[in-house]
Amino acid sequence: MDISISSPLTGRAIGLAEVPDPVFAGSMVGPGAAVDPERAPQVAVAPIAGRLVKLKPHAFVVQSEDGRGVLVHLGIDTVNLEGVGFELVAAEGDRLRAGQPIVTWNPADVQARGLSPVSPVIALDAETAAIEAIVAGAVAAGDELFHWR
Amino acid sequence: MSKAEQIIAGLGGADNIVELEPCITRLRTEVRDGSKVNEAALKAAGAHGVMKVGNNVQVVVGPEADTIANDIEDLM
Repeated sequence: MDISISSPLTGRAIGLAEVPDPVFAGSMVGPGAAVDPERAPQVAVAPIAGRLVKLKPHAFVVQSEDGRGVLVHLGIDTVNLEGVGFELVAAEGDRLRAGQPIVTWNPADVQARGLSPVSPVIALDAETAAIEAIVAGAVAAGDELFHWR
Repeated sequence: MSKAEQIIAGLGGADNIVELEPCITRLRTEVRDGSKVNEAALKAAGAHGVMKVGNNVQVVVGPEADTIANDIEDLM
């Protein structure tokens, strides 16, 4: 089944290779895309419908009915912020619609703390060839970002 | 050996591990002696990759990082 992955954030869609982290840039946990978010407070939303199987302040995984997981990582090395500036509006285990709010944050604050707010959106353990129609350029939260075959 | 045991061995043994913290897809660790880290053994244990800068080693294990870190802590 082909699933549509929507952008969790508003900003500019960029290739994973442009992410300033070797693990994500090298597609080590899976292929996908990234969003360079607008530097204003915003809410990160579910990229697909499914269960919120992992939720950290700075990252989350939503798993579809058929077991596919999509990871959204809000900024790079943001685990170091220990949750400061991230407010959870969903709970681990929740069943979500695509586009449902999960975390509010401010990419401008992350940048002010010397970290990159660029946010990878990863099709966990997918084959690179299974990802297509990757969007580049301006996106709003909820817009399609790529397809996962 | 379990995955957790293999990762401990790959990091040079429990005595070599100073700190181990799970991020969502990786184990962030600090070891006493980086030269004791065996990247091939970590990959054989199921790691997608290993990032090593001196004594700071990140083992990329995917989203089960939390579970693996708990298993490792139970063994240490």
